[in-house]
Amino acid sequence: MTQPDVILRAEDIHKSFGNLEVLKGISLEARKHDVISILGSSGSGKSTFLRCLNFLEIPTSGRVTVHGEEVLVKNGRPQNVRHIEHIRASLGMVFQQFNLWSHRTVLENVMEGPVHVKRESKAEARDRAETLLRGVGLEERMQMYPSQLSGGQQQRVAIARALAMEPDAILFDEPTSALDPELVGEVLKVMQSLAAEGTTMIVVTHEMGFAREVSSEVVFLHQGRIAEQGPPDTMFTNPQTDEFRRFIAKVM
Amino acid sequence: MLELFSYSDTGWGDEILRGLAITVQLAVVTLPVGVLLGFLAAFASMSRLRILRAIGFGYTTLMRGLPEILTLFVVYNGVGLLWNRLAMWWNPDAPLTEFSPFIAGVVALGLVFGAFAGEVLRGAFQSLNTGQMEAGKAIGMTRSQIFRRIELPQIWRFALPGLGNLWINLLKDTALVSVIALNDLMRMTKVAVGVTKQPFTFYLLACLIYWTMCVLSEFVLARMERRANRGIRSA
Repeated sequence: MTQPDVILRAEDIHKSFGNLEVLKGISLEARKHDVISILGSSGSGKSTFLRCLNFLEIPTSGRVTVHGEEVLVKNGRPQNVRHIEHIRASLGMVFQQFNLWSHRTVLENVMEGPVHVKRESKAEARDRAETLLRGVGLEERMQMYPSQLSGGQQQRVAIARALAMEPDAILFDEPTSALDPELVGEVLKVMQSLAAEGTTMIVVTHEMGFAREVSSEVVFLHQGRIAEQGPPDTMFTNPQTDEFRRFIAKVM
Repeated sequence: MLELFSYSDTGWGDEILRGLAITVQLAVVTLPVGVLLGFLAAFASMSRLRILRAIGFGYTTLMRGLPEILTLFVVYNGVGLLWNRLAMWWNPDAPLTEFSPFIAGVVALGLVFGAFAGEVLRGAFQSLNTGQMEAGKAIGMTRSQIFRRIELPQIWRFALPGLGNLWINLLKDTALVSVIALNDLMRMTKVAVGVTKQPFTFYLLACLIYWTMCVLSEFVLARMERRANRGIRSA
């Protein structure tokens, strides 16, 4: 039986692209208020795994359960498209390249999901969008278009866009990797305050500081498998595997 | 000289204006037909199904490879003939229908417009940023919402310059229908020339009218492009 506070569970996820097996059986469970950092060198499959959780990639095999409901996949296609859309609406996602809609203003970007996916009234959606944008420090930028913002500002809009759906968890796919170094801090600060508020987060990242200070659990992927997993304090001070020891020696 | 253009039985003003009205009607009715065909051709050529891709490719290649006037003749004569054959087969007593030159013009010009527009639209779709579509998926949008709310508003940015060119070509190509006895601006001009023996005057007038329509179109198109480019930093 699923415990009531488990939001998302992935079991034995495999993913192949042609002959290349990228994920070789990964399991993970996210409970409410967890902040899970997924680490790994490039090619370890961490982004692919994250994208399997909301079915931007369809796992070759394995099971994903959201809110105790298993998502059925057969022959590489979801059985029930509606179910997947429903799950995506309840799991926010923040991308490396921000992926804001360039033909809509900042405010419209944040209102889009609530109005058109959740069918909220425009007034309600606008109120929340304004509150969220104020929360990420962009109250001055609401009527601007994404191209008029810096990368860090765009990523904060993207976070507000995800939050506007009031998701049960947010997936972050290397949210600071495309940013100039001086802009990384402002995005991490927002993510840190989300974590402090108890937002459930699964974060693929290269930011060791974030993984170490903010997350409740760290997962280290190596060649498509989980090589090491645990609370950050013990993992970083006392790595158990050679792979993770070498990884932290390289990045820290 | 001015009474030549007067709006009366002796002047040609009313005939020319009526011709202009037909020309504009023809272009305006053809445009949505052509754009629709263009979308269908673009979808077909981007389809996962090989048969649809073949149909899209065949249509585009065929229409782009034929002179417009030949397409017009084939549609006007051929389709009319086919229609009557079918009607006879269905009901031997059916009266022979005259295929309207206006409809033939719309169909032929629409087919040509659609073939070129298909290529323009396909290019536009392929220029879209796939990450923005993924963001739509990730927020729980349906396929049709992603198409209507993310793809469609953005393809205009890439497609408008090309479609604008096609519209101006279409405006001018309407003159071809004068050969299938549709009383458009070109034909009325020719009639006026035949009667008055003043070719220079009337051809110059027709030139002015066509040119004015194109200039007006360019003006409107420029405004539409500015609107489609909102949110895009100009290089």
